[in-house]
Amino acid sequence: MKCHGYAVKMLFRSGESLSGTINISSLQASVHNKLSCSDCHYGFSSEEHPKRHFATRRDYTLASSENCRRCHFDKYTKTMESIHHTMLSQGNLEAPVCIDCHGSHGISHISKERALIAKRCQRCHAGIYDIYAKSVHGNALFNENNQDVPVCTDCHTAHSIEDPRTLSYRERVPDMCSNCHANKAIVGKYGLSTAVVDTYLSDFHGVTLKFYRLQKGALNKPAKPMAVCTDCHGIHNINSTVGPDATVLKANLVKRCQKCHAEAPKNFPDSWLSHYKPSLTRAPLVFFVNLVYKIFIPLLVAGLVLQIMLHVWRYVVNR
Amino acid sequence: MNVGTIIQEERVRRFSPARSVEHVAHVLTFVVLVCTGLSQRFYSLDISQWIILHLGGIDNVRLIHRFAGVICSLEVITHLGVAVIGIVFRKWQPSMVITKKDFTDVVHNIRYYLGIESSPTRGGRYTYKQKFEYWGILTGVLLMILTGFILWFPSVVTKFLPGEIIPAAKVLHTNEALVVFLIIAIWHVYNAIFSPEVFPMDTSIFTGYISKARMLREHPDELADMEDKPLEDMPTSS
Repeated sequence: MKCHGYAVKMLFRSGESLSGTINISSLQASVHNKLSCSDCHYGFSSEEHPKRHFATRRDYTLASSENCRRCHFDKYTKTMESIHHTMLSQGNLEAPVCIDCHGSHGISHISKERALIAKRCQRCHAGIYDIYAKSVHGNALFNENNQDVPVCTDCHTAHSIEDPRTLSYRERVPDMCSNCHANKAIVGKYGLSTAVVDTYLSDFHGVTLKFYRLQKGALNKPAKPMAVCTDCHGIHNINSTVGPDATVLKANLVKRCQKCHAEAPKNFPDSWLSHYKPSLTRAPLVFFVNLVYKIFIPLLVAGLVLQIMLHVWRYVVNR
Repeated sequence: MNVGTIIQEERVRRFSPARSVEHVAHVLTFVVLVCTGLSQRFYSLDISQWIILHLGGIDNVRLIHRFAGVICSLEVITHLGVAVIGIVFRKWQPSMVITKKDFTDVVHNIRYYLGIESSPTRGGRYTYKQKFEYWGILTGVLLMILTGFILWFPSVVTKFLPGEIIPAAKVLHTNEALVVFLIIAIWHVYNAIFSPEVFPMDTSIFTGYISKARMLREHPDELADMEDKPLEDMPTSS
């Protein structure tokens, strides 16, 4: 620390430079405060200080991120499956590595302040960040400091970030949403119903999706992608389904339907009960038909079985 | 009188070959519709998933179900057409029509089972048990044909009707299917296979013949009518 407490500089062949001055207080506040410098900067000590050659500052960052692997092998392996790693290996050196998100000397537990996670992603994904910030989730996060709402990593994961444009990612969307929306402890506070997941899963789209997922590989792939949560509710721009946004959502619904059901008339969206379970006030016709059969079927079975038993009994008695 | 113990017994014609063919066709479409339909209703059961995955996936199962549904519709239309033509032009007896006697027969027979009446009811060509089964299934199938087409073409239907018709049709279709399945699985299978009167199986719909002993026991009124008339004029349909 003798030297690096002063203004030292690293120079790269490209002419860029990087300060070698270490802020001791940030190092001491970091989760790595028990580590010694050479745990990460291995090969370096006060006795040994070999000269290394990097063409650019970015090259140095990429190489330094390899040091994390020695301890965080599981996370490092996960990143190798990610779209970021794929881009990096295809030659996009701007694709993020460990240090880009976690920092270097001042590493802290990133999960403590969830808004920071979104801000990390914003550095590269500014457009999507802006859309997210206006959504019901982003708005609650940034304006109300709500820690329940999802941030980027809740759907995209932190390390094994997958290309979200694939069919397999799309087919897992209901799982991602139900992480919170099927959990009463999380959404109950906001007066949201956990029935939204069940009502989707047990209806046409949900059941079809379930089988499409089971059919993976073994059978012919589905002819078309099935509607999932994001198709009606949006992705990063998810709005509230109550209040002023609700009417917009409803008005847009028929257009959403028509993306797959080209002929859908304006009545068509009503054939979906908007996540409501049929009741006397919501879809009374469906409720009534169901009720009739709920009474009729047990009566029918009981009546038939009783007759059969009486018949057998009479036959036995007559013999 | 046990049918199985009589080796050479007098038989009478009960069904024409056309009825036997029709019955086999119904059995086949019924089995296909039940396998592809109930597996969709009870989609979370292992057996349902096994069926759907072995039939090539959910899209295939729906395709097969709709195809079988069309066949079933054609069978029903043919059946009703033949019955109407037969009754109107060939003077067949409308023997499947429900009469007041059927209701009194139900009460009478249950009293007989309980030991209050000394003898069972005297059946005509079709007993109340058979009429219940026939009309129960026919109305069920007609409802399923109607709702089945609604579910097949939701975009067309909602041009004219409110959207709620679609989930209502789904609930009706799936519940009515269960009703028909239960009538067949409980009532028909008992009366045609497990009933001690016919066990191991009532073969009359397949062979077209029934023993005279059974006619006397189950359809005495029809037998009485028949013996006054030549066989050709027998009602064979409905």
